[in-house]
Amino acid sequence: MKKNNMVAMILAGGRGSRLYDLTTTIAKPAVHYGGRYRIIDFPLSNCANSNISTVGVLLQYESVVLGSYVTREYTWGLNMNGGGVFALSPREKDSSDFGVYRGTADAITQNLDFLDNEEADYVLILSGDHIYKMNYDKMLQAHIKSKAEATIAVMEVPMKEASRMGIMSTNKEDRVVEFQEKPAKPKSNLASMGIYIFSYKTLKKYLKEDDKDVNSNHDFGKDIIPKYLEEGLRVQAYRFKGYWKDVGTIDSLWEANMDLLDPNNTLDLFDDWKIYSDDGNPVPQSIGDNAKIKAAYITQGARVDGEVDHSVVFTNCFVKEGAKVVDTVLMNDVVVGSGAKLTRCLVADGTKIPDGMKLGSSKSEQILLVTNKLVAEQGGKKHGK
Amino acid sequence: MANKVLGIINFEPSYVHVEGIENYRPASATSVLGRYRVIDFAMSNFANSGIQKINVYIKSKPRTLIEHINGTNYNINSKRGIIRLLPSERNGGNEIYNTDLRVMMDHVEYLESSSANYVVIAPSHFIYTQDFNKLVDEHIKSKNDITMLYQIVNNADKNFVMCDTLDIDKNGKVKGIGRNLGNNKRQLISLETYVMSRKLFIDLIYAGLAISSAYSLRDAIVASYKNYKVGAYCHGASAYCISSLMAYYNSTMHIRKENEVKALITDEWPIHTMTSDSCPTLYADTADVKGSIIGNGCKIEGKVINSVIGRNVVIKKGAVIKDSIILPNATINKDVHLDKCVVDRYAIVTHAKDLHGEDNNPLYVARRDRI
Repeated sequence: MKKNNMVAMILAGGRGSRLYDLTTTIAKPAVHYGGRYRIIDFPLSNCANSNISTVGVLLQYESVVLGSYVTREYTWGLNMNGGGVFALSPREKDSSDFGVYRGTADAITQNLDFLDNEEADYVLILSGDHIYKMNYDKMLQAHIKSKAEATIAVMEVPMKEASRMGIMSTNKEDRVVEFQEKPAKPKSNLASMGIYIFSYKTLKKYLKEDDKDVNSNHDFGKDIIPKYLEEGLRVQAYRFKGYWKDVGTIDSLWEANMDLLDPNNTLDLFDDWKIYSDDGNPVPQSIGDNAKIKAAYITQGARVDGEVDHSVVFTNCFVKEGAKVVDTVLMNDVVVGSGAKLTRCLVADGTKIPDGMKLGSSKSEQILLVTNKLVAEQGGKKHGK
Repeated sequence: MANKVLGIINFEPSYVHVEGIENYRPASATSVLGRYRVIDFAMSNFANSGIQKINVYIKSKPRTLIEHINGTNYNINSKRGIIRLLPSERNGGNEIYNTDLRVMMDHVEYLESSSANYVVIAPSHFIYTQDFNKLVDEHIKSKNDITMLYQIVNNADKNFVMCDTLDIDKNGKVKGIGRNLGNNKRQLISLETYVMSRKLFIDLIYAGLAISSAYSLRDAIVASYKNYKVGAYCHGASAYCISSLMAYYNSTMHIRKENEVKALITDEWPIHTMTSDSCPTLYADTADVKGSIIGNGCKIEGKVINSVIGRNVVIKKGAVIKDSIILPNATINKDVHLDKCVVDRYAIVTHAKDLHGEDNNPLYVARRDRI
């Protein structure tokens, strides 16, 4: 048996409905980001780099693409004997009717047998839709050292944002004394990042109790952590400094991509803590004779013969001669036709922008989500008039 | 069908000398388009043809290939396929005895114990894409003993020098095999790719070494092809031979053009390679890039014109790179001007502000050099 065996459980069942058409057929963790990644590559690569060998991925909403993606475990080097990536969807059970996961805690409760099989000593709870780099092994060492039953990763946020998050009040030793979920008047600016380490034996006991509690939301933030504090169990805060982003909206997904162009960006994708991703066999990027590129982040498979200014270009995109792309994110397989101009847009995977079409504006406050549907509507308008 | 064919990747013949580059790895491991190695084309041709059992012979400096070649990288089935790396064990001795035939003989049990009916022998220093199934089908249909793959080229005066040339009669049979000495532009160049029965292949190895201990497979075929029915099959698409630094440079500058890349590598016939998980490339405000192929993981602040830039290359502000090949992980520092250069991996160019190669002689900067 492995010593101090920590099993990671990634919550990846959410739709992310504020991403609109980007998540009509895929779950939010499967959304592409940063040129060549899917968002879930971040927690998976963090696990691999932190020497975690067993990862369960809790699936629910649109699980086909995400489930088949994460189980190609060699992508992240998570294919060691005795480890792996396991897709855990809700299932029919002998003792109960088939049901969906009722909350974040319930997703774990319904898979206690998996954690028993894997002989977990510690359970690391992660979200599949956060962009950050973090060494979970260091967090585990802190958890063990402090003799806590639960350790919560926290980061300082501006006071005005604190009322949108789960806020911790801590004592001098960073022990959590109070937890407020989205408080109107926050008592501190230490926000929970939704990353927890639990000692498994105690967690199992509390999850089983929570399962029977008809008044519970079966949620870590709302139910389990408050219960731990109520019972006087040691809950420790683990301070994280660095880049962390929960991309819940079109604007924040666009922003997270634009961050990669900022010379002072704290998310360094060039360093040795690599983020692994499916390579997909594209050719190298090809920059044409007419290309004009400045301040851009461009990946393999892309072809650029037009102008790209302060933009991020994903795998297999094609920016044709005479096209202009400004302050824009082109997701996978986008084609921008000659003479087309995009400004402050987030263009969904596979969108074809016809020649000459102009979309978005430098003056608009919001980012325009461009899809084939929108392009058809725009084209229709033009021809209708 | 595919199960009955054993793939053979031969090592480079003695005429191949990629000056500079070859000090660190075999020609077959030379970087192509900042992403591939030359041997990826032969490996992918087998893998894409469904030929899952492949013997790869290695002449010397095996480290790069041993690191690079494994079944996962090339999509070879982990149970039904196998890649055998078969290195020469004679490279400490006299070079003239270190021939492909000798290495094939040393490992002949892996030919004799195979259940394949046919072998396809492909070179590791050529870049082309070819469906080998089609080639084997043609071979069987023609009832040839040996089928040779060739290409009609119009630049044989500069490229493919010392490659075999074929003389073909109107029935497509090989009547003569010669050498390209660069005297003519138009030639029928052998792509050193052969289909034959596994039995005949083994016979040729024994027969060749019985004539001379220093014989190569080419020598063995030249010596005996008149005894067999030898046919020729026209490849009909682009092919490049990486036989010298100049040939490497010219070939790269040719493939660099987007249409050539698309002609060579398609969605239907992908080229597999070992991937490195480099992040995308960051172009700074000051970057100016045109007519180039760029690998992932680069940071580009300077100017890049008509060049091929490998993975993880750093190009600082004020640097100008023209008509050059920069191999992965090299750094070109501030205000350095490079023209017609080949900069090997991990080299750092800082103080030499102006490096110029010549039209027929690119300037080579060695691996890990600091200049």
